[in-house]
Amino acid sequence: MSFVATEFLLFVAIAAAGYYLIPKRFQWMWLLLFSYIYYSSSGIKLLFFLLFTTLTTYGAAIWIEQVNQQQSDDKKKIGKKKRNITIIGLLLNFGMLALLKYVNFGIVNINHILHTDFTFPDFLLPLGISFYTFQSMGYLLDVNWGKCKAEHNPFRFALFVSFFPQLLQGPIGRFDRLAHQLYTEHSFDWERTERALQLILWGFFKKMVLADNAGIFVDRIFGNYQTYPGLSIFAVLLYSAQLYGDFSGGMDVVMGIADLFGITMDDNFRRPYFARSITDFWHRWHITLGTWMKDYIFYPLSLSRPMNRFGKFARKRFGKNIGRTLPICIANIVVFLVVGIWHGAAWKFIVYGLYNGLIIAFSGLMAQNYRKWKQALHVNEKANSWMVFQILRTFLLVNISWFFDRANSISDAWGMMKNALTHFNPTELFAIPMGESGIGFTPVGLGIIIFASVILFIVSVLQERGICVRSAIAAKPIVIRWAVYLFLIFALPVLGQPPSATGGFIYAQF
Amino acid sequence: MEKLLEILEDIQPDADYATCTTLIDDGILDSFAILSIVGELEEQLGVEVSPADIIPANFNSAQALWDMVQRLQG
Repeated sequence: MSFVATEFLLFVAIAAAGYYLIPKRFQWMWLLLFSYIYYSSSGIKLLFFLLFTTLTTYGAAIWIEQVNQQQSDDKKKIGKKKRNITIIGLLLNFGMLALLKYVNFGIVNINHILHTDFTFPDFLLPLGISFYTFQSMGYLLDVNWGKCKAEHNPFRFALFVSFFPQLLQGPIGRFDRLAHQLYTEHSFDWERTERALQLILWGFFKKMVLADNAGIFVDRIFGNYQTYPGLSIFAVLLYSAQLYGDFSGGMDVVMGIADLFGITMDDNFRRPYFARSITDFWHRWHITLGTWMKDYIFYPLSLSRPMNRFGKFARKRFGKNIGRTLPICIANIVVFLVVGIWHGAAWKFIVYGLYNGLIIAFSGLMAQNYRKWKQALHVNEKANSWMVFQILRTFLLVNISWFFDRANSISDAWGMMKNALTHFNPTELFAIPMGESGIGFTPVGLGIIIFASVILFIVSVLQERGICVRSAIAAKPIVIRWAVYLFLIFALPVLGQPPSATGGFIYAQF
Repeated sequence: MEKLLEILEDIQPDADYATCTTLIDDGILDSFAILSIVGELEEQLGVEVSPADIIPANFNSAQALWDMVQRLQG
């Protein structure tokens, strides 16, 4: 059941209405029931995978807690036992994820290298498997490290894993911030509901008006880039708009729906195209994936014994500064390799991850030199011109990475980048038909994309300046307020693409 | 504490460690800086920091960092 479907909106309305009508002590069970109904709608057999992660993680966490409570003076032995249980949990769940998502990729590559003909069944990927697996494994590691206590009620834990708004495309929640909100009793709050509906509406505007219109051009150009050599720059810029509108719009819908149940989810976006460096970009884009990688891979890997030994070697060999930074850079490259693989089973995603990792690692190694150069050149870091330069530089670097993310293959990405430097012909845009409306509607379609981008840009600038746009609108007289709401409501069917023509959200594939 | 301030100044000089209590929340210390500090704490003060210790509450101010160092030394 796609988020952009009338039946889904009806499903949410029934879930929210019932949530506040039933006795409050049953609210979390109601959410669990609706989460499982939602998940089953994608195929009842896929429930097996969700239950597998739920039960193995629940069991492993309880087991860790029992080991922790054992009366023993040998803390090392207890620590080792806990670590072994955690490793079993991690292997089972990441093993399942790897089996479903990556085995075919491995076999295709083995067949290519060894000229063999191995085959493996092509499984239907369970809905949101990357998201709920990462969320559950984060919980397991937190229990192992003593950051949170194990949940004893299996049904409550099942809700933490399956809470339906976030199941499809995140955000990847943390047990200590999310779980208690799911289990606590909530009273209906009209103000909160109004704000939640505003957010949902804004999310659909970004998705249907900006992302889905831009997607028509993106699909056409990236799918036939040799037919449109003069459009590579436009293709990647339109993809920037599409991906941000689609993913952040989807997150607004998710957070708005969660808000209807009185639940605040972690932010997943903070105006990423205003980032001043690639590091800053990853602090603003898909934030919950970035913090997950940082807490559960980057820090443990950087502080591991082999890295420690390598750090000591590097200090002796290269001196204090480089020796101190080099192990961190290597851990960072590993993390971004995982980020790339997380995005999909294809070499282009590996290149995408490595590209980001190498830029950040290089910046880390050069940090001290940059500081010295800026001092020598008297760069005023607080000047607006410097800020604009940094934002444009980062936007350029991010757009280069989007070629790898969106192109059909690495060679296509290179081909498009080459075209971007050698060909420029905006008139080719007018030869691309706007879906069933044909090329007669193309100028209007481009106008809608520009119009939606300008609105998004203005809202983003206001938010960047600390202004809460939703509160500002809510404080306006009723006529203005409803004019805004009605504009957004009517913009969806009039300016947006019909859901039947565009499919679901991009990140729901992960 | 003096040794700790020296380490902090060396890794990230653009901060007022005497008063700032939002070193993580305001993004003054990023993950590279945090790990560099952890590396120096181990090298110079013999303190072993685990991934579970890397939480904002332990790194938001020089005092919080010093409290963590003392706790781990004890």
